[in-house]
Amino acid sequence: MTDPWTDRLSDYLDGDLPPAERTAMETHLASCAECAETLIGIRRVITRARALDDRAPSADLWPGVAAGIGARRSPRRFSFSMPQLAAAGIALAALSGAAGWVLSPGVPAGAPTVATPGSQPLVTQVRAPATGSYDAAVADLEQVLAAGRGQLDTATVRVLEQNLATIDRAIAQAQRAVATDSANLYLNTHLAATMRRKLELLRQAAALVAAVS
Amino acid sequence: MATLRHDSTGRTDPDAVDATLAASGDAHAFERLYRGHLARIHSLIRRMLNDEDADEVAQDVFVRAWQKLGTFRGESAFGTWLHRLAINVILGRRETLGTRRKRYVDGDVALELVPGRRSAPETAMDMEAAIGLLPDGARQVFVLHDIEGYRHEEIGRMLGLAAGTSKSQLHRARLALRRHLDP
Repeated sequence: MTDPWTDRLSDYLDGDLPPAERTAMETHLASCAECAETLIGIRRVITRARALDDRAPSADLWPGVAAGIGARRSPRRFSFSMPQLAAAGIALAALSGAAGWVLSPGVPAGAPTVATPGSQPLVTQVRAPATGSYDAAVADLEQVLAAGRGQLDTATVRVLEQNLATIDRAIAQAQRAVATDSANLYLNTHLAATMRRKLELLRQAAALVAAVS
Repeated sequence: MATLRHDSTGRTDPDAVDATLAASGDAHAFERLYRGHLARIHSLIRRMLNDEDADEVAQDVFVRAWQKLGTFRGESAFGTWLHRLAINVILGRRETLGTRRKRYVDGDVALELVPGRRSAPETAMDMEAAIGLLPDGARQVFVLHDIEGYRHEEIGRMLGLAAGTSKSQLHRARLALRRHLDP
């Protein structure tokens, strides 16, 4: 016959017994070798369970996930070096110029425009970042950057600030453009991409701060 | 307004930034999230379901996460949000797989079927294999409580059980594993 105390051992171990029953259990354990041994065994099981390591699958599942979310595969990875930061500034200036071109009198408002294939290889659809979470992310990263800027060399800080200023101008320009023609696919794509670029640049800058701190 | 999680040193949770980027359509950011969380999610699926379906279910979890990123508000860590979503997918899939394979067996009977380990020092793989031998209900409660750290009340809500039933399933699973690992 099973010792009725055995069924309470997990409750005892997990701290789920009321104080009086806990005391009674401890008295019982002092005199019952079988329950004491079972308790040790259960403790060992729990310790082993908590020590299990997570293991990634042997196959790369990303291609299936990418197909599922409609993304095209791209080996491109962001890892900014100083020359790349400078190049990013040039690219942003070009983007900003493109927005200016769209807003120029020669281009009729509302004209359907097509994004250049490959310009956003893994962006699957036009989705401007949600304002609340975007603002929070930008504010947090700016705070990290402000706190850690003293650890970056002067040239790096200068390039970062130039690039961020360029992005901010581009965002403001794009927002004005979208306000005048909210249905324009190109303008919305451009605004979403520019906002993402700012977040990406800030993320990289925060990573740079973390790397040198 | 959403706020971003900070770790114990006060730094921004980088996952929250990537989640924001991904929510706006940036699949590069989502791939970073995928690579950072794949091992944990895949292990959870293997333990709660089985090895053979784990790859497909893991892909399903990440595709659904992409679709639901707009609901992630940053109140909890991205990993916590993803983990909970994964459990919902697993529990939904469990019923399909269980019905298809007729693997549901009575808990009391199945626990007695867990064989004792014969020899050799125990390894983590022994533990993983032993967990896989538990019947579905006891296995899920054991994984959620002893590996993932959920409380019985939370497990009860997830699995549609009374907290007392979750406790008794856990105890039976622990006893069965003890018999298996320490014969």
